Amino acid sequence: MFPTFANSARRMTVSGLSNGVTTNSAVATVVKREMATLKDLKLRINATTNISKITKSMQMIASTKLSRAQREMVTARKHGASLLSFYKNAETQTAQGGEGKTLYIAVSSDKGLCGGCHSYVSRFVRDQLKAEENPANADVVVLGDKARAQLTRFAPSNMTLSFNHLGSKPPTFYEASLIASEILKLPNEYKSIKLVYNRFQSAIAYETGFFPIHTPQELAQSAKINAYEVEDDAMQSLYEFNLTNAIFCAMIDGYASETSAKMSAMDNATKNAGELIGKLTIVYNRSRQAAITTELVDIITGASAL
Amino acid sequence: MLSRTAFSAVRPALARAYSSTAAAATPNGLRLLFSAPHEAFYNNVEVSQVNIPAVSGVMGILANHVPYITELRPGTVEVIALDKSVTKYFVSGGFAVMNHDSSLNVTAVEAVNFDDIDIDLAKANLATASKALADATDDESKVRAEIDVEVFKAIITSTTGSTSV
Repeated sequence: MFPTFANSARRMTVSGLSNGVTTNSAVATVVKREMATLKDLKLRINATTNISKITKSMQMIASTKLSRAQREMVTARKHGASLLSFYKNAETQTAQGGEGKTLYIAVSSDKGLCGGCHSYVSRFVRDQLKAEENPANADVVVLGDKARAQLTRFAPSNMTLSFNHLGSKPPTFYEASLIASEILKLPNEYKSIKLVYNRFQSAIAYETGFFPIHTPQELAQSAKINAYEVEDDAMQSLYEFNLTNAIFCAMIDGYASETSAKMSAMDNATKNAGELIGKLTIVYNRSRQAAITTELVDIITGASAL
Repeated sequence: MLSRTAFSAVRPALARAYSSTAAAATPNGLRLLFSAPHEAFYNNVEVSQVNIPAVSGVMGILANHVPYITELRPGTVEVIALDKSVTKYFVSGGFAVMNHDSSLNVTAVEAVNFDDIDIDLAKANLATASKALADATDDESKVRAEIDVEVFKAIITSTTGSTSV
């Protein structure tokens, strides 16, 4: 009965591990199968160890990048604060209802492996589009390939413009101004602009929301705008400059959130890999022991038969 | 309080309205927020006066200035602190928004402290840019070169104080 026991124990490990890949070769001899299983296990342990090394170093890279991203974000937020205080002082409101198109700008990047941070942006935009009275009256501009792929699925007819090659390096003001100038070339007049981004909160948290940016129309309707003395046609230039700043700030914040998300995603991946390695090692040791037991049983049975 | 504006460049005198909102909002001094995308120089710091290079001429801004929006040309932003010490920055352009709560937001595209400017490098760059302007064939490169020349000239004139370059 002993060989049967060893056999069933081995089968269990095989089907539990490699999804029955080796069960098809059940006709092979016992010893050979044993060796193959052990070898497979060893290979899997090695592969998982390598993956965990990679995720570990990605996590280290992300955490190094995070401190720089956070520093830049703090500065950019101060830069962006002037926008907020201007809108607050002018009492500018987002246009509600009425005619005209709305422009959504989704800020993501090309880089994955950062948990759900790009999906949050695209889902947020999708939900906003669903809530629109007339979804056809909204245009979507996407920064980064990740959200573009998702939003093209959600709302193919709203897609207007997309940018890629973003996210491998920290965003720069130059990038933001290139993007802003492309957006300003769009032929439509928008009643409002909604800039969707991940706002960095802490190394482990971020929230998806709007960055305040208002169109010249909205600005012209602000309660206190007439109190300002404006030189010539400074308003249009101011809007263009503000749009660039807003995009820049949103990109910087999004980058910091993405880096932090990447850090925690890679941390989790490393932990999971560690767990998997532990489990695999246990199974490996157990089946090696089982093989030894089988051989011992064979020897003892042979000896006692004499 | 009446709005107070000092002009050092020629500029048509504007009739300045009494800014009741400004006086009512805050009794305290001028709060400056001065930043470039990569660096924030002043973050809501109280200062006594700021001179900015508006497109129409250099303006001095004091507390309770009338709400004002202006574009900046390449030039010097002078910040006079409460202890009357003066810090000078070179800005390549941007905007200044004076709000009625006596806060002044100066947002520049690029800004550097005068101490960090290498005047020889600026002169060399001006020579390169002037040459590029002379060689420019199409409109775009011409405009780019013109902007470069304008900025480098402004850097040199504002840091050395001389008007001839």
